[in-house]
Amino acid sequence: MDEKIYRLADLRGKVVLINFWATWCPPCRKELPSMERLWQQFSKEDFMVLAINVGEDADTIFAFTGTLEPALGFPLLLDRDSAVLKAWPVRGLPTTFVLDREGRVVYRAVGGREFDNPELVAQLRGLLQNRR
Amino acid sequence: MRFRRIPGDNRNRTVLRSILVGTALFNLFMFTMDSGAETQHNRDPETGIETWEVLDRGMRLSLTQILPDQARAFYQARGFDSDAAEVYAKACLFQTVLRNESGGVIAFRLADWRYLTGKRAFRLKLEPEWQYEWERRNLPEPARIAFRWAQFPLEQTFEPGDWNQGMMACPLPRGARFDLRFKWRADGKMFEGDLKGVRCAEDR
Repeated sequence: MDEKIYRLADLRGKVVLINFWATWCPPCRKELPSMERLWQQFSKEDFMVLAINVGEDADTIFAFTGTLEPALGFPLLLDRDSAVLKAWPVRGLPTTFVLDREGRVVYRAVGGREFDNPELVAQLRGLLQNRR
Repeated sequence: MRFRRIPGDNRNRTVLRSILVGTALFNLFMFTMDSGAETQHNRDPETGIETWEVLDRGMRLSLTQILPDQARAFYQARGFDSDAAEVYAKACLFQTVLRNESGGVIAFRLADWRYLTGKRAFRLKLEPEWQYEWERRNLPEPARIAFRWAQFPLEQTFEPGDWNQGMMACPLPRGARFDLRFKWRADGKMFEGDLKGVRCAEDR
């Protein structure tokens, strides 16, 4: 939303969580705060969260994210024409992917999650500890 | 609650092709079973909005009425003109939630699902048919994108714990009752279940 373009190739070496969402999608709205808590837990490590909004404008997104507590600290990306979304195997929102340090998709979650759930945190920690 | 491991990077089309080939082969050998799972019904005491839910062999499906005014407001806020929003609001609409609580991988296609009235079975009106109408009306692209992603997915594969939600439309009149026959594939078999006595919302 700050006009910055993110390329996955630039994020090689990091574990990346990619989330496709929209403000009108109830489970998307519900899971974002837990995603922020996860981000805060791992933000000092080789970890990145990219939350890609589908089809909405910055004003609409700000009107929603401004109400969230804690405030979101990870990048919110705009996919205005859903071109990015179409390049991924997504059938519905929300859908989340986790990429390992090599940029490979290793996990997928369809539907809302509590991202700071201990099992999910342990899975991410496992990926972060793998430094091959 | 865990993430589900993906065996390989599936951003290419390999997995999709495999699923399609697997589906075609599977159709040759499929059979269906009906468990007779009981539909639960609930009415919100404040709004009067009704929900029907069934848990059948690990598939939890619920349909919650979407009132015509809710549909009008949602789509007009996303770039639909009032006439186009009215076309959609006239349909019998439900917020649909499907959860895979089975412990195994399942797949479904909305094209396989039917609504039953009397002794006849009918197809649902699916998202591509609506999009044809929106293109004909020259609705702006953001409106059509919002419509696409607000609909219940046309097809999907769920790992254990996966779920999804979205709008679904039956071309039925206000107050009409029907049963929804939903189908899914798991363990090389096709299953079917019924959500019974679902009723279209009135315009109020």
